[in-house]
Amino acid sequence: MWSTLRERGVSYLIVGPFAIVLAFPFYWMLVTAFKTNGDLYNLNNVPFTYHPSQAAVGEKLSFQHDHWLPFGFENATTSHISFIFSDTNYLRWVENTAVVGGLVVVITLLLAVPAGYSLARLSGRWGQSVGVGIFLTYLVPPTLLFLPLSRVISKLGLQDRLWSLVLVYPSFTIPFATWLLMGFFRTIPAELEDAALIDGCSRLKALARVILPISIPGILTVVIFSFSLSVNEFVYAITFISGTKQHTISAGVPTDLIRGDVYFWQSLMAATLIPSILLALLYNSFLNRFIAGFTGGAFR
Amino acid sequence: MAENDDELEELGISTSLTRRQLVRRGLGGFLIAYAGALPKVAAAGVPKYVHKHYKNTLKIIQWSHFVPAYDVWFDKTYTKNWGAKHDTDVQVDHIALAQLPARAQAEVAAQSGHDIFGHLSPQAGLEDQVINHKEIIQEVTRKVGKVSQVGFKSCYNPKTRKWHGFPENYVPDPIHFRKDLWNQVGIKPSTWDDVRRAAPKLKALGHPVGLGMSNELDSNMLLIALMQCYGAFIQNAQARPTINSKNTIEALKVMRDIYKRGMTNEVFAWTAASNNQGYLSGRLALAVNAISIIRSAEDANPALAKNTSVAPIPRGAVQRLGLEHVMGVYTIWKFSKQKALATRFIADLEIHYQGAFKNSKFYNFPAFRGAVHNYATQLAADPHKGKYKVLDLIARKYTANLGYPGFSNAAIDEIFNTWLVPQMFAQVAQGKMTPAEGAKAAENEFKPIFAKWRARGKI
Repeated sequence: MWSTLRERGVSYLIVGPFAIVLAFPFYWMLVTAFKTNGDLYNLNNVPFTYHPSQAAVGEKLSFQHDHWLPFGFENATTSHISFIFSDTNYLRWVENTAVVGGLVVVITLLLAVPAGYSLARLSGRWGQSVGVGIFLTYLVPPTLLFLPLSRVISKLGLQDRLWSLVLVYPSFTIPFATWLLMGFFRTIPAELEDAALIDGCSRLKALARVILPISIPGILTVVIFSFSLSVNEFVYAITFISGTKQHTISAGVPTDLIRGDVYFWQSLMAATLIPSILLALLYNSFLNRFIAGFTGGAFR
Repeated sequence: MAENDDELEELGISTSLTRRQLVRRGLGGFLIAYAGALPKVAAAGVPKYVHKHYKNTLKIIQWSHFVPAYDVWFDKTYTKNWGAKHDTDVQVDHIALAQLPARAQAEVAAQSGHDIFGHLSPQAGLEDQVINHKEIIQEVTRKVGKVSQVGFKSCYNPKTRKWHGFPENYVPDPIHFRKDLWNQVGIKPSTWDDVRRAAPKLKALGHPVGLGMSNELDSNMLLIALMQCYGAFIQNAQARPTINSKNTIEALKVMRDIYKRGMTNEVFAWTAASNNQGYLSGRLALAVNAISIIRSAEDANPALAKNTSVAPIPRGAVQRLGLEHVMGVYTIWKFSKQKALATRFIADLEIHYQGAFKNSKFYNFPAFRGAVHNYATQLAADPHKGKYKVLDLIARKYTANLGYPGFSNAAIDEIFNTWLVPQMFAQVAQGKMTPAEGAKAAENEFKPIFAKWRARGKI
């Protein structure tokens, strides 16, 4: 028992500080989202708790009579959080982001799975080189490509449409996904497919019935990774779409919540924390398979 | 032996709902419930037929104004009323200030985009992509009088005789200073020498002055204005670079001195919002910025706003002369299919500028002075005890165009957008160059830029 406790203690001692450092920004965002302007801008106040201050224009102190709340929360306000729902198109941005992300994931899987499989199984010695070459295209930054792609989007009549992002985002999700899946498929013993082929399956059926079911961790990794990349992308989102109702979160939040040299800090923190929590829950649901997907791809 | 939920789940022998199952089911349920929106949203784009009873469509893009109420007025009142009168659906899109140049370049590359593009600085570099805005200038001049010198020199190219933009508004650039702190040190920031004397005393009180030397808009404007106060200019009236002068060296010495004795090195890494935030937090004793600082303080920190005064830029050895903080310039692309309508819109907006002036909380001053009446009365009527009356004086007497005494040409545009002036000041302030070396190095950088644009026939 003591050795178990000691092992656990050592584990927590090592992991604990990392967890605190990584979680701290989210704690900061959460605390800041509820702060009044007077509290936030007062350098004499401890930033991790709430302090009395004069409510600014538009701020309501809804908890001011609840003195039992911890951390001085009776001095907090929800006005800046409700601002993003009432005075911006925030929910629409979340919807747009979910739609674009979902479609990009589907397109990425449709193209990256067969590509990764082909490079892993059918391309011989040059498959590895081609895989690396495909991956290298992922490294070309959007800041180099957004100008020529603007012309392409305009010619296709997709300006100010979400389809412009659905078309362009796979250009960076597919290379990485192909490279990742290529490595993952290599870890699956070829004998499994050979057995299926001997039993009369076609190559496609062997892929669908034998390989894909055991590739779920890799595929989930691609899903989560592609979705995250789509959510975080900014340059194309701000360039191809100018209408506020058509924005994704990455474009809408800085456009509406940073006005000139005025930052609406509390609303900014809330607007970015909400999707972060959703993404964190998504990651957490499939954590084991996600880890298996990444580490499986390492042995290739 | 399996000891945790994950292993039990993998072995398929977990009998209770694990944490991970709960999260998965919850997320799955949320996604299913929300999925009804997917087809509708996926098919969405710009709704083409929202106002199908209007014959025309006019698309405008401009920055998200720091006064949210201005955008509400512009988008929901002014453009809607104008559109109803002109059988036009006016669509207004907004973008963050920092993204304006990239967006403009993207529209040029695509040869497609908005009919009217609202920039926040003169765009001499885009001259070949836009129409000659002379017609709008003439129309507005007929109705309200001549354009101000600031507007004229910002948007007219005397070499090509082309108006490469329409100067809609400019923003005076006062200093904000803490009356209480400056009273404590017994000095008023009337001259740059006063600032130089007060800076170390204020720093000792824990409230340094905030003068940026970073690659951002506020630093650019402040430092060029400081140079002007000492008779130093990037170019002369004939568009020849004149940066390497004893006046520039003097300005560099002043700033180096202020920095060494009265500031901290954070100023080399500032963004456009840093002086706002430093002042609003109560730390800075002085900042040079448009009235976004004090207007934010009125909402966020009324006690600070009460202790803040607004004044013209301090006088240098030669003169007191600042720059516009930003200049609102509308351009109509050559590829626009609504040039006549766009021309009409801009002309009407400028001729009836009272609404914009008022709804911007006096941030936007019209480039055509006659477009608004009774400046003094209106500014004095502001509820904050006449604090903003001085803006009229600053706008009339102490605001020059970027590139003064010359025009805002493509070379000035490039020097401004590549932050060469803040870099010159930063190098000298940090001791990496002497003032003379700094001025000489800047001249070596400016000369090829001017030569390039001269060769292209733009200056």
